[in-house]
This record gives sequence, structure tokens and C-alpha cells, in this order.
Amino acid sequence: MITRRTLLGTAVAASAAGLFAPRLRAAIPDTLRFASAAGGPRRLDPNQTTQGSDNWAVVQVFEYLARPPDGNFGITPNDFEPWLAESWTTSDDAKTWVFTLRRGVQFHRGYGEMTAADVVRTFVRARDEGVNTANYSNLAEIIESGPYEVTIRLHNPDPMFLSSTVTARHVMVISKKAEEDLGEAFLTEAVGTGPYELERFDTERGIFLRRHVDYWGEPAIISNIECLYIADTTARTLALMSGDVDMAEGVRQPGWVPQIQNQKPDLLFDMTVPGSFNTLFFNMEKDPLQNILVRKAIMHGINKQEIVDALQPMSRMVYTLNPPNYPTGFALEDLPEDLRYEYDPDEAKKMLADAGFANGLTIQVNTSQREDYSTQHLIIQEQLRQIGVNIDLTIMDHSAYHATNRQNLNTLNINSSSLPPVPLYVFNDYAVSTANMTADGKGGANYSHYGVAMPGVDNLLAEMLQSTTFDDYVAKGREVELQIQRDLPMGGLPTLSYLVVRNPRIDLGYEVQGGYAYWRFCKAKIVA
Amino acid sequence: MARYLILRLLDMVPTLFLVLTLVFVAMRILPGDPALAVLGQNADGGQLEAFRERMGLNDPLWLQYVRFLWDAVRLDFGRSLMTDVPIRTLIANNLPHTVYLTITSVALGMTVGIPLGIYAATQRNKWPDNALRLYSLIGYSVPDFYLAAILLVVFSLQLGWFPINGAGVGFWGGLHHILLPAITLAFLKSAFMGRLTRTSLLEVMGRDYVRTARAKGAREGRVIFRHSLRNALLPLSTGLGLSILATLSGSVAVELVFNRPGIGRLLITAIQERDYPVIQAGVMMFAFFVILVNLFMDLVYIIVDPRIRVKS
Repeated sequence: MITRRTLLGTAVAASAAGLFAPRLRAAIPDTLRFASAAGGPRRLDPNQTTQGSDNWAVVQVFEYLARPPDGNFGITPNDFEPWLAESWTTSDDAKTWVFTLRRGVQFHRGYGEMTAADVVRTFVRARDEGVNTANYSNLAEIIESGPYEVTIRLHNPDPMFLSSTVTARHVMVISKKAEEDLGEAFLTEAVGTGPYELERFDTERGIFLRRHVDYWGEPAIISNIECLYIADTTARTLALMSGDVDMAEGVRQPGWVPQIQNQKPDLLFDMTVPGSFNTLFFNMEKDPLQNILVRKAIMHGINKQEIVDALQPMSRMVYTLNPPNYPTGFALEDLPEDLRYEYDPDEAKKMLADAGFANGLTIQVNTSQREDYSTQHLIIQEQLRQIGVNIDLTIMDHSAYHATNRQNLNTLNINSSSLPPVPLYVFNDYAVSTANMTADGKGGANYSHYGVAMPGVDNLLAEMLQSTTFDDYVAKGREVELQIQRDLPMGGLPTLSYLVVRNPRIDLGYEVQGGYAYWRFCKAKIVA
Repeated sequence: MARYLILRLLDMVPTLFLVLTLVFVAMRILPGDPALAVLGQNADGGQLEAFRERMGLNDPLWLQYVRFLWDAVRLDFGRSLMTDVPIRTLIANNLPHTVYLTITSVALGMTVGIPLGIYAATQRNKWPDNALRLYSLIGYSVPDFYLAAILLVVFSLQLGWFPINGAGVGFWGGLHHILLPAITLAFLKSAFMGRLTRTSLLEVMGRDYVRTARAKGAREGRVIFRHSLRNALLPLSTGLGLSILATLSGSVAVELVFNRPGIGRLLITAIQERDYPVIQAGVMMFAFFVILVNLFMDLVYIIVDPRIRVKS
């Protein structure tokens, strides 16, 4: 006879067994789950995204007119393949670009076929309304020269137009009609042409995508993508180790990769080279950094190889502002000997003595608590101690760090930034006088006051911007690079790859070598 | 009673006003720039200025303050600088998770802590009493985030009994997801409540009326639960109030480690990004809860202790 007590007890036991039985953490079938290191999604509109993590969803949903090979940047104009544009031509002066669009490309959610009007609207809004309008200021006219043809005229020649502009995410093609229909909602419900379309934008959990069945190209292999947001490192690592997510943003600090490898040797590590540029700025408005001997002494006192070793396998050596595999970057052997600034503590001490600091000096420096910044600053602090330079380091939260940098309150700050192989970007951001940082916070990211505290490279840059061929552009860019190396307002520190850890059950379908800090999943397949 | 309640509710107004003012000032004193957080460290001066202008961050401070207070009075906290989502929506999406976590963990903490305290008090200086002391010591010493990580490694990663992150869907999904975070927060609470129950009960059990009850031949259970525990309730209610407040603050770390939605996680992300409107709204929510819990506890005192009822 079943009593009431027996029934209740059985029910409780059954519930507990269901609840507490070891759960086989089987991955969700036909779904790839990616965890990025952020609190939650902000936007999906490619022209309005301000958080790197959101680009993981953006790059699945939207497409460029032309694109570099998967897993890499395009370095030369020949590295790009037709995508939403079937072909393109450029004028001899590299100021007019004509794109012939692919026919039959369908937007998501029934917004119809992509035409020239959509492409024109995409470029116009990037130039006039986006969060990065400065990068599109060279766009003079964007004309619908046919239903499937767009003509773009530039103010200045740009032989690198494909890499400088066409493959920047703000001009990933959007549906003009969807933008008009959705209004403000377009920020999070944007409509593109990519192999995945938006299923749900959840501000608390993430961005959920499904395969676009009317995709014009090879359909995506995996049906669903979940771009999740797990800001806490412990939670993200555990989610990856347990198989709860298939891919997760890694942590760029010494020892993290070996530690994960030890615990789960079958995990795979995808890394972009170069990843983030790390640049050490000398604030030339602060004593004694106006003195080039002091700046040179500091560069000679930094053992870059030690930094590379500490941050293996993510770190790579850099000798100038741009990394060696970028068009204007230099390999060590290509640099004149006096511009190499190789590690030489004796030479550093001698230079400091010549500059009047035979007994050493103390510099107040702020750094960010973010692991990549603080690690490098702490290593440099220890290295410079050996040559008599005492770095009085204050570690602060990341937001406060950048704010104090912009208020001219730092001296030897590091800036980490992921930039494509377009020399103009890094020169424009860091080296031109118009980007000079001002104490009122209204300036740019030229933290050295280069071109203001001392003559800079504005004229050389202006010459570079008149180049009409790629080779000429690069040659002039290398002159800029060398001049910066001579003046030493800033110095390149080792780069740090963007790191993603991947469950071996996911085969991406290509190898990640370089490129932006996000990549496409449409070729990915589940292999186990 | 109604008059008392109205007076206490009116008391909330200056407190909330003070909190609002403090959080507004603190946000503006802290180094950090929302424009830089939104646009990135390489944004040029023009872009940063345009953003500040659009968001009203260039307006005089007094104007921003007046606008902020006026919006707060209407419970309109504006939109997040980062996501452009109305803050009311953000709070509506997150608050239920924090409330659910707080209630579950306090309930768990009380359910475990009070019986442990009673048992320890009745077994004074014997092994159960010593065991409770040790348990309390560990409970006080282990930080929430550390315990959370250990529980995650053991029960989620190794045993696979619980999900790693998120809040789950539906009743059973929600329950499955909340157990580990609730146990994390309940651990300290149970240690605290156990210790408090033991101390209060021992104090009461030494009183004359308890001795009299025993002398009259009352059963031990009756002595403890009828005569002693009821009179030990006042300090326990104080403990309950403190527990709820500690859980609210503890939820910040726990929501992060378990990657659960909630006001704590929302607030931490907003602080990192200098999302002023979200921070202001989040802090106000916390302040409101603190005041509300205090009010609730005052009402509980009145119910528990007739002397307070007479005075009020």
C-alpha cells in the first residue's frame, strides 16, 4: 500500500535524482556557443558597435563588398577577393572606385535583394553618422551609378582603399529599408546579408543567431550560433572546461595558457598575429622625457625579449611602431643600427649619465589593472630599476587609466590597440599633431605630444597620402616609421595576440593567423 | 501603526535624496570618461566631444544634477549610455533575479543556521557546540567569490550536477541554476544565524522564567521552543535584517562568478564602463532595498516585542 508519506518521499527522491544526477554536459546539437569577456551585448548595427565583443555576432550577420581570406588580414590590394561586389575598378589617381554588385543577394527576414541603394546608404551613414566617422572622412561622393553599381569618389588618393575602408566593419552592408522600418530598433535588430541572421538579442544573455536559409553563397554548416557574454574570468574558464561553451575569449596574462593546457590538453588555441599593438608613449610635456637621451636610455633598458618570453605563446617581437609583418613595419636587420634600440643596460646607464641622471631618476607612472597592461608595466618597472630608473607605479581601473591618460596625467603610458595593416590608422591615431592629447580631454591619442612638443611627421604623412600606388604608399609610410624611430616620441613594445580557446569538437574550417579580433563561423563544423 | 508606517515611509525621502546626491557627486569625482568607455581609447577628440554633447555630459553639473533628480522623482532613469536600452527595462530584467537569489539564500541560511544554533545551545560545550563554532569560523572566513569558485569546480565541473552559468528557463531550470549561488550566499548566513541563535538562546535559557518553567516540569522541547526561542527572537530578527543586507551586497560577486543576471552584475559592469545613468539607478535600487529592509525589520520588532509596540 502506498502511503501519503511514501508517495511524498518518492517524489522528493526522484526530483533530487533528476536534479543532482551527474549531468552529461552534452553540447547543444548543431549549435556553436561562444563566450566573450564582456558584461552583455550593446549593439548589432555594424556602424554603431562600440564593444569589441559584439563584433563576433556582427561578423556573422553582415558582409563587406570585398574581403580578405578567412583568418587573416589582406596586406596588399591583391589579397582581397570579391564578395558582395563581383568586381571593382580603380582610376589611375586612386581616387575613384567603381564596384559592380553581385545580383541575387538577399537580406535577412524578407527585406529583399541588395541593390546599389543599400550600399550607398551604408557608406553614407558610416561617413556621416557612425561612431567612427573620422575613418571615413576621405569619402567625398558615394553614387548609385546603376542598380547594381556604386561609384565612390575620394578626396585624396587611396591605393589601400580596400583595406582602409571597404573591409572596415562600419561599412558592412545593411538593408536601407530595414533601417527605415526599424528606426531605433535597428541598433539591436540590424539586418544584413550574412550566412547567419538574428534570432534574438537578449541584453542579459547574449546574441542568438540562426542560419540564413536564403544565403547567396555556401550555406553555413552549423545551424545556430550563440554569442554569450561571461565577463568573469573564472566563470568563462569553467564554462569552457565543462563544455558548456565551445569557444571562449582567453586571458592574456603570463601562465594562463600553460595552466589551461595542463588541465585540458585537448583544447585548441586560436591566435591572431600581431593582435594588439602595444605602444609605449613618452609624454614629452613631462620632465625629463623631453630629453631624447632619457627616452633612448629607457628603450635600451627595456628587454623586449623578456616580455615576449613572459607572455608566450601570445607575444611577438616588434622593432618599430608597426609590427614586422605589416607593410611599413621593419624587421630588426632592416633597421639602421642606431635605430634598433636593442637591450643594452650599460648603454642605457651611459645615456642617462650623459643626460645628467648618473644617480638615476624617478618617474610617476599610472597603469591599468587589466592584465595585459599591468603585466607589461610591471616587467618594465623591474627592468628599468636595473638602469637606475625608478618607476613609481599606480595601478588603477581600466576606465580611470584611459581617462587620466587623456587628461595629460600620465608619463610613460602603454596603449594597446588592435589595428589592421593600414599604416594611416596608427599614424593618424598616435603620431599626427591634430591627434595631440590635451589636458581638457578634448584631444586625441597622441599622448607624446609629437608634432607639438617637437617637430613631427605631419609633412611626411601628407606626402604618403598623395601616393597613388601601393608600393609608393608603403615606401613613404616606411619613411614616416623611420622618422618616428629617430625622434622616439613612442616605441613599439611586443604585440599580444588576441586569444580564443576552442573545444576540439569545433573545426573552424580554416586556420586563424591574423585579422581582427573576431572571425566567421560559417565554415565551422562539429567534428565530434 | 498606520501613522508609524507613514512616518517611516516619509523618513525614506531625505535618505534617498542624500543617496542620490552622493552617488551623483561620487560618479563625477571618480576618474573615468563614459565617452572613452563607449568609443574606445583611440577615438579622436571630435568624436568624444560629439558623444559628450549628445549625452548631456558637457552641461553644467548643476543642470545635470537637477535633471537627474527630476528624472529620479518620476522614476525615469533614462537610457544606458552603452546600450541605449531604457534603464527601467534593464532593472525590470535584472531585479527579479537578485530578489529571487536573496530570498532563496536567506531562506536556506535560516533553515540551516537556526536549527544548528538551537542544537548547539542545547549541547553547550559538547562536540556539536564545538562543531558549530568551527562551522561559523569557516563561514565567516571564506569569501563568497572563493566559495563560489570552489563549488563551481566541484559540483559543476567535476560532478556535473549543476549548470556553470546563467539563470535557467522555467521553474525547474531556475531552481537548478539558483541552488549553487544560493548555497554560496547561504553558507555565511547559516554560520552567522547559527552563532547568533546559540548565543541568544543561551542567554535566555539562563533567565529565571526558564528555570521556573523547568521547575514546573515543562518538557525540554516546550522550554526551548515556547519559552526560550520566542524570547530570543528579537536579536534573531536583527540578524535576519543584517543577513538580507549582506546577501544583497554579496550578490554582486556571486552574480559575476555564476554569470547570473542581476542588479549586482549590472552595477559592476556599469561602474567599469562609467555608465552613469545605470550606476545611479542601480545604487538607488540598492539604497531603496536597504531602507525597505530596515523598515521591514522595525515592523517585525513591533510584532515580536510588545514593549516596542506600546512605546510606538
